[in-house]
Amino acid sequence: METLKKLVPSDLNASKWVRMILGILVLALLVWRLVDVILIQRLYGPDTWARFAITGLIIGGMYALIAIGYTLVYGILLMINFAHGEVMMLGSFAGYFVFELLAFIPSPGPENPEQVLLNAFPVLSILVAFLVGMLVSALAGYFLEKIAYRPLRKAPRLVPLISAIGASIFLQNAAMLLFGPQRRTYLNPTLLDRGLGLEIPIAGNNVLVPYTGIFSFVLSILLMLGLYLLVQKTKLGRSMRAVAEDKGAAALMGINVDAVISRTFIISGILAGAAGVMWGVHNGLLNHYVGYIPGMKAFTAAVMGGIGNIPGAMLGGMTLGILESLGPAMLGIDFQLKDVIAFTILILVLIFRPSGLLGERLSEEKV
Amino acid sequence: MKKNVTALQKGLNTGITLGVVMVFLSLTAFTVVLANIIGDSYRPTPVTYGFVIALFGFFGGLMASSKRGLPNDDWKNVLTSSAAAGLIGGVILAVPLAVLGSIHLNGTDLRNYLVMVSPDVMETYLFGIGLLPAILITVIIFAAGAILGGAFNKGAARAEWRARWMANSQEKIRSAWQAPRVQQVVAGRYSKLFFMVGALLLLFLMPFVWGSYWNYVMGTVGLYILLGLGMNIIVGLSGQLVLGYVAFFAIGAYAMGLLSSPEPLGIQLGFWPALLASILVAALTGILLGLPILNLRGDYLAIVTLGFGEIIRILIKSDSLTWFTGGPKGLRAIAQPAIFGLKFNSDVNFMHLILVGVLVGVFIAYRLQYSRTGRAWLSVQGDQTVSRATGVNTYQYKILALALGAAFAGIGGAIFASRNQFTGPEDHVLMVSINVLCLVIVGGMGSLPGVILGSFVLKGIPELLRDLTDYRLLVFGVLLVVMMIVRPEGLWPTRRPKLEKQHLSKYDPDNDEASSEEVSA
Repeated sequence: METLKKLVPSDLNASKWVRMILGILVLALLVWRLVDVILIQRLYGPDTWARFAITGLIIGGMYALIAIGYTLVYGILLMINFAHGEVMMLGSFAGYFVFELLAFIPSPGPENPEQVLLNAFPVLSILVAFLVGMLVSALAGYFLEKIAYRPLRKAPRLVPLISAIGASIFLQNAAMLLFGPQRRTYLNPTLLDRGLGLEIPIAGNNVLVPYTGIFSFVLSILLMLGLYLLVQKTKLGRSMRAVAEDKGAAALMGINVDAVISRTFIISGILAGAAGVMWGVHNGLLNHYVGYIPGMKAFTAAVMGGIGNIPGAMLGGMTLGILESLGPAMLGIDFQLKDVIAFTILILVLIFRPSGLLGERLSEEKV
Repeated sequence: MKKNVTALQKGLNTGITLGVVMVFLSLTAFTVVLANIIGDSYRPTPVTYGFVIALFGFFGGLMASSKRGLPNDDWKNVLTSSAAAGLIGGVILAVPLAVLGSIHLNGTDLRNYLVMVSPDVMETYLFGIGLLPAILITVIIFAAGAILGGAFNKGAARAEWRARWMANSQEKIRSAWQAPRVQQVVAGRYSKLFFMVGALLLLFLMPFVWGSYWNYVMGTVGLYILLGLGMNIIVGLSGQLVLGYVAFFAIGAYAMGLLSSPEPLGIQLGFWPALLASILVAALTGILLGLPILNLRGDYLAIVTLGFGEIIRILIKSDSLTWFTGGPKGLRAIAQPAIFGLKFNSDVNFMHLILVGVLVGVFIAYRLQYSRTGRAWLSVQGDQTVSRATGVNTYQYKILALALGAAFAGIGGAIFASRNQFTGPEDHVLMVSINVLCLVIVGGMGSLPGVILGSFVLKGIPELLRDLTDYRLLVFGVLLVVMMIVRPEGLWPTRRPKLEKQHLSKYDPDNDEASSEEVSA
C-alpha cells in the first residue's frame, strides 16, 4: 500500500499543474482545429454557419427553459433534480396527445367538412397544447417533490439524489409502458408545418428559418422574461429568493418554506412542459427517452451559467445550444460527436471555472 | 401525518391513492400480468383477474385500517375506513376503465396510444360481459376485498392471541439456540473453519449442478459484486459520488477486447496479459481523471464523471473511431483464459473464474477497508477539513480510492468481455453505473456483505421475475425511492458509525441514548 501511494501525486499543486497542462493542450487543439477548418480548408460558407447558429439559438432557448428548472431547484434545495428531463418528457407527451385528439375531432363549421379542429383553430390548438403540456409537467413536478423529495429534506445529500435517479427511471419506464417504445411523429397544425419557414438570403444563398423555430425562440424568450419578473417583482419571487438564501431565517420571517418549495417545483415544471411541447413541435420526434439528453444538456447549461443563477441559466442554455450546433463544424469532426462537445464543455467549465460564467448564487453555508 | 382525521377521511385518502395507483397499473396491464402469473397461463381469465383486484382491495383494506392515523381502532372505525377506501378506490379504478371500455367496444384498437392495452386485456377488464355489469363487479370486488382486509387486520393480525403466540415462539427459538449443545458446536474450535470449507465446497460444486442459465445469471451477479466492491471503495468509503463508473468498466472491457481480439488491431495477447493490462489501464484512467476533478464539490463530481462516462460511450460508438474501437458493431472473438493448457470455454469454467475473482476481490476489499487506508478514507468521507488537520492527505487518498475502484471495474469489464466473447457500446450505457451505485446504496454504503446482498437483490431477483421483464425497471425505480425514504442506510448497513457513537457516548455525559439514533451511515 505504501508503494502504491507513492505513485499518486501527493498535494493539490499537482491538481493545478494537471489543470494547467490540460488547459494548454485544449487551447492548442482548439486553435489548431479552428485555423484549419475556418482559414485553411474553408469547408462551409457563411450561409451554412448562419444556419448552424440559428439552429443553435433555437435549441438553446429550450435548453435555457429546462436549465432554469435545474437552477431554481438547486438554488433552494441544493439537489440535482435528476428527474427534471422526465418532467419535460411528460409535458411533451401531453402536447402530443392534445394535437392527436384535436386532429381526431371534425370541425363544426359548415364550410369545409374535411376540416379538423386542429387546422380550423390552429392558434387555439397550439395554446391548448401548451397549456395542457405545462399543466401536466407542473403536476408532475409537484408530485415528484411531494412524494420523492419532501420526506428526504433532512437526509444527507446523496440520498435525495438517489431518490431522484429512482424517480427518473420510474417515469421513463412508466412512459414506455403506457405509450410504447416506438418513436412517434408530432402532429403539428399546418400553420406550424415543419417544412415551412422564412427564407433569409445570406451570401447569395437562402437560409431557411423554420416557423417552428421562430415560434419556439420567441416563446422561450417571453417565458424567461415572465419568470424574471416573477422572481424579481412578486411576493412569491421574493419568498423564493429568501428561502434560497436561508431556509431557517425565511421560516422565522413567516414564510411557509414547504409551500415555496412546492411552488418552485411547479414553476420549473411549467417551464419544462413548455420546453417539452416546443421540442416536439420543432423536432417532430417523441418517445419515452426524449427527456434524458436535453435534461443532461440543460443541467450542463445551468452549471455553465453558474448554478443558482437564473440569468446564468438562460445565458448558459443559449451558449450551449450555439456551441453544440457550431462545434462539430468548427472543429471539423463527425456530427455524431455533438453530444461529446456538450459534455466536454461541461467538464472543462467545471475544471476551470466551477462557479460558472456568471457566478454561482448560493448562500454561504451551503457551499 | 395529519393528526386528527376521522376514520372516513383516512379511508378516503387511502382509497384515492390506491385507486390512482390501480389505474396506472391497469393502463400498463400490470394487473393482467399478475393474473397470468397467479393463473399460471398466458391468457388471463375473469377469475384470476378478479382475484388480483380483490387482492389489491385487501391490501387497501390493510392500509386503511392500520392504527396510525385512526382515532381509535374499534370495529366501527376499522370497517368504516376500509369500506370507504374500497369504494372510492374501486370507483376511481372503474371510471377510466369504463371510458376505455366504451372506446374499445366501438371497435378502436387502443394500442396506438396505450401499447399494453390490447383487445384481450380490455376484454379481461370487462370480464367478458357488458360495460355496466363489469364496472359494478370491479367496484364490488375491490370494496369486498378492502372490507375483508380491514376485518383481517383487526380480527387476526392485530389480535392478542397472535401477539402472545409470536412472543412464545420467539422465546422457544432463543432457548433452542442457547442450549449448551448448540453453543458448543457454534463456538467450537474448528467449527468456523469447517463452515468456511463447506461453503467453499458448495460454491465450487454449485456451477456443475444448476445448469448454464443459472451460471449466466450468477456470473452476472458475481461481476456486479466485483463492480460493487470497487464502487464501494469510491462511494462508500471515501465518499466521492462517481456516476460515470461505467467508463472504467468499458475501458477494462475494451482493453481486454482490443488486446486479444483479431480485429481491429490484431494484437492477440491472450487472456492473462490482457487482464493485467485492463486493470492497469483502468486504474491509470482513474488517476488521470481524478487529478483535475477530485477537488470538486460532491454533486459536481457526480455530473463530471457522468459526462465522462457518456463521452467514452459516444466515442466507442462513433463511426469516426471504428478503426480503433470497432464502432457500433463492437469487438468479437475476444480471448478466453487458459491455465496450463486447460481452456476456459464452458459456462462452468467461467463461473469458477468469477467465483475466484469475487473471493479475491472480497478479500482485498476487506483488508483495505479495515486497514489504515480504509480508516483514512472514512475520515475523508466524514469531514475533509478535520481529516486534513489530523494528518490525512485527503487529495492523495481520494485519488487512490478512485484508482482502486477503477481497477475493480477494469477486472469486471475484462472478465465480462471475455465471458461474452464480445463487447459493444450498448454494454456500457449509463444504466450500468446507476445499477452499481444503487446496489452499493441498497446494500448499505461501506458494507461488504451489503455489496453482495445488493448484487443479489438488484441483479439476481430480477432474473427470477422473468414474467415481469417489462416492469422490472419500473419496479426498480419505485424501490429506489421507497428505499431512500424508508431505509436510507441500506439493507445490511455497516456497524461502524453505531459502534463509534457508542464508544464516544461512554465519555460524553451529555450524550444520552436518544441522540445516538440520529447518526446516519
